[in-house]
Amino acid sequence: MSDLPPMLVALPILGAVATMLVGLVRSETGWPVAVLTSVLQVGAAGVLARGALRHGPVRYAVGGFAAPYGIELVVDGLSATMALLVASVALGVLAYARKAGPRSNPFYATYLLLVGGLTGISVTGDVFNMYVFLEISGLATYALVASGDRGESALAALKYLLVGTFGASLFLLGIGYAYVATGTLNMADLSAQLAEAGHTTPLVVAAFSLMVVGLFVKVAVFPLHAWQPTAYAGAPDTVSGLISALVSTVAAYALIRIVFTVFTVDFLHANPSAWRVLVAGSVASIVTGSLLAVSQSEIKRMLAYSSVSQFGLIVGAVAVANVTALTGAAIHLVGHAVMKGGLFLTTGTVAGETGARTVDDYGGLAKRFPAGSGVFGILAFALVGVPPAVGFVGKLYIVLGAIEAGAWLLASVIVGSTLLTLAYVARLVERMFFWEPEGEGRGDGGDGAKSASVLDEATGGEPGGASRGMKAAVLAAAVVAVVLGAAAFGYGQLIEPTILRLVS
Amino acid sequence: MSVENEGEVEAGFRSPYVESPVIMATVRVLSPFVFTFGLYVMFHGADSPGGGFQGGVIVGTVILLLGIAFGIETTRNWMGPEVPVALVSVGVLAFLLAGMGSVLLGGAFLEYSAYGAHHASRYGIEFVELSIGFIVSGVVAGLFFVIDSGQREGA
Repeated sequence: MSDLPPMLVALPILGAVATMLVGLVRSETGWPVAVLTSVLQVGAAGVLARGALRHGPVRYAVGGFAAPYGIELVVDGLSATMALLVASVALGVLAYARKAGPRSNPFYATYLLLVGGLTGISVTGDVFNMYVFLEISGLATYALVASGDRGESALAALKYLLVGTFGASLFLLGIGYAYVATGTLNMADLSAQLAEAGHTTPLVVAAFSLMVVGLFVKVAVFPLHAWQPTAYAGAPDTVSGLISALVSTVAAYALIRIVFTVFTVDFLHANPSAWRVLVAGSVASIVTGSLLAVSQSEIKRMLAYSSVSQFGLIVGAVAVANVTALTGAAIHLVGHAVMKGGLFLTTGTVAGETGARTVDDYGGLAKRFPAGSGVFGILAFALVGVPPAVGFVGKLYIVLGAIEAGAWLLASVIVGSTLLTLAYVARLVERMFFWEPEGEGRGDGGDGAKSASVLDEATGGEPGGASRGMKAAVLAAAVVAVVLGAAAFGYGQLIEPTILRLVS
Repeated sequence: MSVENEGEVEAGFRSPYVESPVIMATVRVLSPFVFTFGLYVMFHGADSPGGGFQGGVIVGTVILLLGIAFGIETTRNWMGPEVPVALVSVGVLAFLLAGMGSVLLGGAFLEYSAYGAHHASRYGIEFVELSIGFIVSGVVAGLFFVIDSGQREGA
């Protein structure tokens, strides 16, 4: 089983090719092939995560070329967590995608390619290799966003393509500067060589700035977030669920990896301005993201802005840079993926069942679609950070970490952000549970028919009912969000050695 | 290859394609050489400048040349619409199998020496370059056809 790390990347790509090849012979085969691949992927990632969390990092030299020269894959607790998260979420969203579509074989091939790319970012120990996987997942994401058959999807994908490529180019430029300064691309080697080159030399500082700002674009940190609401709102529901859960999450993982494994905490101590950039990005994201979320009328846009604010928390944890905060970041990355992915899928299920897509449509939703409203409510309150859900644990760790480090500004902003999150969540929950349905009795009047036809246009699928798979995926997300809350403290202890290694 | 183009003269759509004996004759002479040059570049990935990406683009341009000379739709039908997809898939598959095969033989992923052949590393890299060439030429040809069909729909 020592060859698991490269197999974890190769497997989804193999699945993507298999989808295309089988699709040439028989259409309608994409879904089963994708499911088979994802199940194997979850198994492989699980075995790897078990090993990495118990026995420390697994290192693998691709092609037998030794580390500083060849490409190295490094799987520590955090990478393994990400790989497992990517595999599990991909499998869960597939359950949703079966009926919700888009159903073509190229869609599933791109889907698996995205899984491969994201897994690659998670397990690689080489910065250039990381850039390549960042581009693979970026390109796959653009294609997935464009897979909706509305003009809006294509426009959102184009916008995302332009901004995303810009971000990736900055990242590549940063790698170039770091390479000029050190002559190496291996992360472990880079961190030693960068220290030798001097953490305050302009070349090293420029490399840091370019890489971090490039990743800020990918994570969607304010003010570089503009692509994200458009992309999430313009993509088909299935895709919104998948990319909101995974793409920014893995980019945030890459940020943690670059800041701590490549540049190390000493770099942050040596350059207070670098630290200030992280704090500023975090505070701006948290506050602006929440405020923009409150002012949205479309549910998917609101959720997208909420992601901007939630990733502000992660960047904040990176700025705090101690064990507690980073443990919180790891937990919150996983928790946010489950909660936000679940919320996007719930939005899709609600739209399939009732046609409701805006905040006003959600008035009295509890009477029309009680189960959907219940799940939405659970996930939304989990996102606010109501115990015992996982959102609470992540935020708690980050706040405690900030207080430990004496970063009072950040701590107060994070606590305040919870209130802001509550503002947009409460507004919606109040409408869902305490308002009377507008106009017609049970959503079957003229307005209902109109919204159903709008939905038909919007998703390209048949209206009138969410499938069992869609409901199961959504329910699973809600259950997992609560169960993870109980498991998170245990996980926090499990990942502590990994985080200690990261910040030492 | 058939030269007439039923598909091109649909009502209201004037194809940019112009049938020219000069272009056709030139492309007919040139294509085999361009194709060979593409392969030559691909095989030089291991120990000199060159490789699958550049070589694949050159091979892909053969399809572009044929498309310009004989009409894009005609070329697409002659090649078969599945061929670009198949080229890409086979290329990726070959790359992956080269990686996984060495694992099966007890080496690391993509460790060519596990194959035990003479100059295994060199021939291994050339094999991988060749599969990359497959992928790139398939993508170039596929994109060319897709862009053309998009223009057709837009007209």
